[in-house]
Amino acid sequence: MSESADTAIRPGRERLDRVAGGLGGLGGAGRGPLLVTLALVVAVALVLTIAYGLHDVAQRGVNGLVSGSYFALGAVGLTLVYGTLRLVNFAHGDLLTFGAYMAFLANVTWGLPIVVAVLFSVVVTAALGVLSERVMWRPMRGRGAGLLQLMLMTLGLAFVIRYGIQMIWGTLPRRLDVDVTASVSFLGLRIGRTELIVVVVGFVTLLSVGLMLRVTSLGRQMRALADDMALAEVTGIDTDRVIVATWIFAAGLAGLAGVLYTAAIGTMTPNLGFFLLLSLFAAVILGGIGNAYGALAGGLLLGLAQEWSTLVIDARWKVAVGFAILILVLIVRPQGLFGRGERTA
Amino acid sequence: MTVFAISFDALTAADFWIGVGVLAGTYAIFTLGLQLNVGYTGIVNFGQAGFMAIGAYTMGILVVRAEWSLWAALPVATLTAMAAGVLLGLPSLRLRADYFAIVTIAFAEIVRYVAQNARGLTGGNQGLLGFDDQWLDLSDTILGWLPQAWQDQFLLPLLLVVWVTVALLTVLLILLQRSPWGRVLRAIREDEDAARALGKNVLAYKLQSIALAAALGAIAGYFLALNLSFLSPESFEPQFTFIGFTILILGGLASYVGVALGSLIIWTLLEVTRFIELPLAAEKVAALRFVIVGVALIVLVAFRPQGILGKKQEMVLRE
Amino acid sequence: MSEPGPPSATLSPPLLRVEHVVKRFGGVRAVDDASFAVERGSITALIGPNGAGKTTLFNVVTGFQHGDGGTVVYDGRAILGRPPWAIARCGLVRTFQITKALAAMPVIDNMTLAAPHQPGEHIATLLVRPRATRRREHEIEARAGELLETFGLAAKRDDYAGTLSGGQRKLLELARVLMAEPRMVLLDEPMAGVNPTLGGKLLEHVHALRERDGTTFLLIEHDMEVVMGHSDRVVCMAQGAVIAEGAPEAVRNDPRVIDAYLGGGSA
Repeated sequence: MSESADTAIRPGRERLDRVAGGLGGLGGAGRGPLLVTLALVVAVALVLTIAYGLHDVAQRGVNGLVSGSYFALGAVGLTLVYGTLRLVNFAHGDLLTFGAYMAFLANVTWGLPIVVAVLFSVVVTAALGVLSERVMWRPMRGRGAGLLQLMLMTLGLAFVIRYGIQMIWGTLPRRLDVDVTASVSFLGLRIGRTELIVVVVGFVTLLSVGLMLRVTSLGRQMRALADDMALAEVTGIDTDRVIVATWIFAAGLAGLAGVLYTAAIGTMTPNLGFFLLLSLFAAVILGGIGNAYGALAGGLLLGLAQEWSTLVIDARWKVAVGFAILILVLIVRPQGLFGRGERTA
Repeated sequence: MTVFAISFDALTAADFWIGVGVLAGTYAIFTLGLQLNVGYTGIVNFGQAGFMAIGAYTMGILVVRAEWSLWAALPVATLTAMAAGVLLGLPSLRLRADYFAIVTIAFAEIVRYVAQNARGLTGGNQGLLGFDDQWLDLSDTILGWLPQAWQDQFLLPLLLVVWVTVALLTVLLILLQRSPWGRVLRAIREDEDAARALGKNVLAYKLQSIALAAALGAIAGYFLALNLSFLSPESFEPQFTFIGFTILILGGLASYVGVALGSLIIWTLLEVTRFIELPLAAEKVAALRFVIVGVALIVLVAFRPQGILGKKQEMVLRE
Repeated sequence: MSEPGPPSATLSPPLLRVEHVVKRFGGVRAVDDASFAVERGSITALIGPNGAGKTTLFNVVTGFQHGDGGTVVYDGRAILGRPPWAIARCGLVRTFQITKALAAMPVIDNMTLAAPHQPGEHIATLLVRPRATRRREHEIEARAGELLETFGLAAKRDDYAGTLSGGQRKLLELARVLMAEPRMVLLDEPMAGVNPTLGGKLLEHVHALRERDGTTFLLIEHDMEVVMGHSDRVVCMAQGAVIAEGAPEAVRNDPRVIDAYLGGGSA
């Protein structure tokens, strides 16, 4: 009691670190679950290796890392928004779709180089995120909107984005101007050249995101806000600025994830984001809601789980495997692998 | 410049409005289940399309694959959907509302994946047909009772049966809601702990609510199946649950009568847009309909969350 | 204290026995080996400085939180670990510190909701025995009407409970608890936020019920005047443990109690 009263009147960095550190989950006291999870992944890999051989497990593991990278990028934004604004954003998947089509617009329609197109897509998607905050979420927060009210509005927004895209570009699959046929071999494992770039870009971004969240003061504030908005306000964070930063970050990463997904898979349709949304939720819940590092880990785990599942059961079920994991985690460990606290009513 | 034009011929044709009526009735039944869960129990059920699929496919599989009579298959399929509701609810109703919403939508998607991929049973994307012979016989009989001038409207019997069902179910649900049982549900919606402190087994009531909603979803599924004569996974995509939510909010939370009204308005809106002649491909016009649903949902929730017939005092949405 | 203790108090075993109950939150023992008893037909006050674990103990006793150890015996039955609704059905009914008036339901529905033995609350019996449901509903409504009259809420019968004032909500909550036909009522700060006139009324009702029906009361209370003037026994908690138990005067003069209040800072 007296200890917390003492720290409450000592705002600033120390306090913030404590909040953010607790949230980070993968640091300090949270190391136990991480080790357990790693051990579990290694154990599963071993069992699968014995049953199906090293080559198959490694090859699908590589595939898993490819999908894991865009899952993780999509999930980190979803979890930050969820944690910060208590907004279960069913439109987040459609931000991925939006990002993919913005890249298509720049890359194919306008004929710009893919690198420029990717940057364009990230910027425009981030702008859409900020726009939604200003036009919808901030006014609704001001009116004290309830959870269900906000959820339904995100559903409405999801419809508008997805079917707005379908009105403009139709349902035919579209391609980016990238070579998806060339592949490279490494230690007997094949990976498409574009996929390789996706993994590299994905992981470099993920590492920078992780570093940014840990090192910069803005990143720490974002994590603190996602963990406990009231507490963060007490510590003197400019919440409005951080919320906008969170949207830029969340939507920008979603846009990138959409482009990477399209690059890896080869085509985009207006449904791609909604199709991915539940996988993103699965990654978020695996990692514990509001936990940015948890979402990164959750995304990678989900990618591996889906791809490795194809060793055991038919590949057409792999998406359902993701949903089954989602339900299982919610029922068995609703706070997520690295989360804490009660998630039941 | 005539970019927009509405072909009024189509809008005055009886078969157009009969089609709208069948759809509106079907989704009214579907949404009555949502009303029971969301408006009267406070459960955010995002998986109603899944229960609809379970009901419709169980009926279809029993009739087509197991060669049951349609009339025997209907109650069994309804019970199957109810059992699915209980199985889903048992572990997950303890979760917070947002988690429960995600679990239910994941459940509905798993159901749809099974429908898509268990081809031997469901026909996969090729669809399942041949379950409605007995219905068509009955439909002809009903048509025979009707005036001569209406004989060429082959969907008319379905329209009648759907709306008689809507009316019966609405009355039944209103009676239930006014009963001591319904009173407990509303107390749970307001404050679970208060209900517990007064000796009410909250989980048991929530399970009953979800099981009944599943049954309503299944019944809506039969009408959907009979309307299309054909079952395919596309009919059970999650957006249909969300159309249900739009109907729910438009009609008004905590109003069973509002459901029928909301469904009529939404489906009229959706179907009329088909006849706005835009210089667009069919798929793009189809997309426009969902953009309208999305905008309607956003605007309604933001500016008139109590809908048309909902009571402001019972504004369950805002808390 | 003007009234004599209930006659049966010394003869029969206590109605509620709390023995060595423990409740942990992380490393903190919110309730730490708490033991005390509540005599049948008594009005017992549970006091203690803020953070002493009184409400947590209420939550554990009524099943709203899981206990981590110990036993709770109510009327000869071990109830620790049973779900809240089952405990309430045994006749051990609680109120909450922050009133839980069901705001979007009319006052009368708040009342009738609480009545036990309504066959119409079960969907099967509701459909099979509509007449029994109706008969019981008439009884319940009559009883609810009487209670609303007694508590001065009759005029508000059909208003939404959300329109009541804070004090009226407290009265409604007490009246609603009585609809549940309790043998023991746990009141969590019934006087908080109530003006003195209404508060006095509330206490009158408590006494009247004890006299008429032999209802037992355990209440968390901070107002020492209320505690001294209206309770037969006092239990004092501090830092999760029961530090004193006995007659009001004796507990008030207990040095450990004085120490707990002075050390804890607030009363």
